[in-house]
Amino acid sequence: MIKLELPVVKFTAEQTEFRNTVREFLIEEKKRGAFESRCDSWLSGESVDFSRKLGQKGWIGMTWPKKYGGRERSALERYILTEELLTAGAPVAAHWFADRQTGPLFLKFGTEEQKNFFLPMITKGECFFSIGLSEPNAGSDLAAIKTKAERTDGGWLLNGSKIWTSGAHLSHYMIVLCRTSPFDPNNRHAGMSQLVVNMKAEGLTVRPIQFLTGQHHFNEVFFENVFVPDNRLIGIEGNGWKQGMAELAYERSGPERILSTYPLLDELIKILRENDDEEGMREAVSLLPELWTLRNMSMGVAKYLEEGHDVNMAAALVKELGTKFETSIAEKARLLLSQLPSIESAELINRFMAQSILHGPGFTLRGGTTEILRGIVAKGVVSQ
Amino acid sequence: MSDMLDMIIESSNRIFKDNCTKQLLDDAEDGNFAIDLWNIIAESGLSSIALPENKGGAGGDFIDAFNILKLAGKYGLPLPLAETLIAKWLGTELGFTFSNEPVTFSIQKDDNISFKMTGDGYSIAGEAKDVPWASAAKHILLLGKSNEKDVIAFVPLDNAKIIKGKNLAAEPRDHVIFPNILANGLSLREVNCIDISEKSIHLLALAKSAMIAGAAEKVLALSLFYANERQQFGRSLHRFQSIQQHIAVLTGETTACLTAANSAIYALQGGRYEKEIPLAKMKLSESAGVIAMAAHQLHGAIGMTYEHMLHHMTRRLWSWRDEAGNEAYWGKKLTKLIMKDKDSSLWEILTNDKQFTKVEE
Ligand SMILES: Cc1cc2nc3c(=O)[nH]c(=O)nc-3n(C[C@H](O)[C@H](O)[C@H](O)COP(=O)(O)OP(=O)(O)OC[C@H]3O[C@@H](n4cnc5c(N)ncnc54)[C@H](O)[C@@H]3O)c2cc1C
Repeated sequence: MIKLELPVVKFTAEQTEFRNTVREFLIEEKKRGAFESRCDSWLSGESVDFSRKLGQKGWIGMTWPKKYGGRERSALERYILTEELLTAGAPVAAHWFADRQTGPLFLKFGTEEQKNFFLPMITKGECFFSIGLSEPNAGSDLAAIKTKAERTDGGWLLNGSKIWTSGAHLSHYMIVLCRTSPFDPNNRHAGMSQLVVNMKAEGLTVRPIQFLTGQHHFNEVFFENVFVPDNRLIGIEGNGWKQGMAELAYERSGPERILSTYPLLDELIKILRENDDEEGMREAVSLLPELWTLRNMSMGVAKYLEEGHDVNMAAALVKELGTKFETSIAEKARLLLSQLPSIESAELINRFMAQSILHGPGFTLRGGTTEILRGIVAKGVVSQ
Repeated sequence: MSDMLDMIIESSNRIFKDNCTKQLLDDAEDGNFAIDLWNIIAESGLSSIALPENKGGAGGDFIDAFNILKLAGKYGLPLPLAETLIAKWLGTELGFTFSNEPVTFSIQKDDNISFKMTGDGYSIAGEAKDVPWASAAKHILLLGKSNEKDVIAFVPLDNAKIIKGKNLAAEPRDHVIFPNILANGLSLREVNCIDISEKSIHLLALAKSAMIAGAAEKVLALSLFYANERQQFGRSLHRFQSIQQHIAVLTGETTACLTAANSAIYALQGGRYEKEIPLAKMKLSESAGVIAMAAHQLHGAIGMTYEHMLHHMTRRLWSWRDEAGNEAYWGKKLTKLIMKDKDSSLWEILTNDKQFTKVEE
């Protein structure tokens, strides 16, 4: 019989206390105008100052060892922090990838030198990363990447390009998945490696790609004989695919796959209550069972991750169901409010709606499309 | 969770698995009460779980009990286990004592049951609708009025008139009529009608939630088996991407069902239920329909035959999603609670363990 059950998480009193601390901090910051809430703030809310401030509080890389600048807090505390940041719509995009996956990647596969060099900077909110996976001809079929690194004196020469790289224009470094051996049709996943590439390196150019809102979030990045020193290879040469896959469970199961549009839901409930609109509230309330369930699923995966279980399938499930939920909020809100969603509106709710609708298609694409995730889930259960 | 959980789960799994055959389910549907299986269950203590041993129970807690109900759902157990457990939990608190027989309850504040003192006992009049398994139970825990007061009594069903009814899965849902029945030696307990009816529907909603989660697991297992076994165009069905989409939906919804049920079960054991049980029942009721349809689509015509096992599970899903309150029922309740709790944002409500301030009906 297949085992689908996830553990039930109950927060301790200290953890709840921590949640309140974060919450109060965010209320204060908002009050003093440090940020304006927005939906999908982990992709599109960037503030270098705010990231620094979180770094000062010890809230970037908070689970990492103290000797690398971390605070050795638990994964569940990080979970709480993440939830509070997202539901407040705080500008966390700048440091997001470094905190979520690059730090853990270094901790798992990095050399001592790399850990000592990068991790403390990341935790201070002074070093941002972007993730270079997709290429013009390698989307869902990531193994089709062509960007390659060839041996040279003291390092590698990198050639090729990446596309859709979120925040490349803000980041100091990029984790690039590239070929370090020629493509082998019989073993498509072999011969790939992960390199840390300095965004200031000679031969590297970043070209903005305008997002459908007209804003600038993702980019195309070109490498022309970019020199990457030997000590900037992560882990083992040729092991890049496997190392990259290990990041995915973190990438797919977190609260950001459920809460990207949460600020809209919170505001919607607030308005319905102010308007004493019981009928509307009943409609809005129909979103809550899904949200509550997804949150519990995601927390269960977080707990399993911390305990070292294999959660690839469960993580794919959370992302598949969670991102569908994220898009459903705006669909409900527009019918309940009948207002004009607009990015530039003076009314918060209209901006939230616009952000949710216009960013919506990305939720079910980035980090593995719904179709691909469903394939992973189906193959996972069939083989069990 | 008590220390016994693993052991209890293993032994109930074995009992249900060995006994809940297709034949037994078919027979139950024809109106044959599975008395032998009931006796096995009662003797093994499963029908008095989460009742203290000094009150004649088998010990254990709500986590044990609702995990057993999850298994009952998974095997389509055609017996009033949930009803008996809930009647015993509520009744024991009121000081009633129980034997090993199956019992049921009707604690609906809209029923018009009256108890009139006569001689050594009471005369009972009124009707109770949609009572689960009344035709199989010997006693019913019954809410009514006596001298303007709300009372509960543990009433023998011998002389009651029972008009048999059934839900979509042909489980008994009977109409019970008390045409001025004389019951001697009956003792009444005064109760707060709203509190006890709320408590009973919350418990039943969680029981149905656990059972839906169990049934969902079985539907997924049947679907995986069939997608593997059945070939078309020279390939097993699961090789087709569109079938994989159905499998992914079934897996996702089933995992969600298990998570929602488990979260509410742990919440109840921790003394919380006001938000959690409504949220869980809404989620499970919603998923029940999605799961049933995806599984039938995957099974093709064979799934529509009585021969096949699938319908025993899908008809239960379709029944249970509407019993003990469907999405609309609980949605309305949650709406009231959220409208009233003006000082908390939705996020505070979702993340705080605190319960709502009481809403007067
Ligand atoms: C907002 C946003 C931010 C992003 N940020 C980054 C980033 O920072 N770094 C990065 O590397 N990438 C990033 N991406 C890229 C993202 O990872 C890709 O969009 C995703 O992997 C899909 O690739 P594609 O867009 O080329 O679509 P394609 O792979 O061409 O897919 C197109 C359609 O075909 C479907 N499809 C493809 N293959 C199959 C199959 N085998 N079976 C069934 N259906 C299939 C897909 O599901 C999709 O519906 C970002 C994307 C977005 C939208």
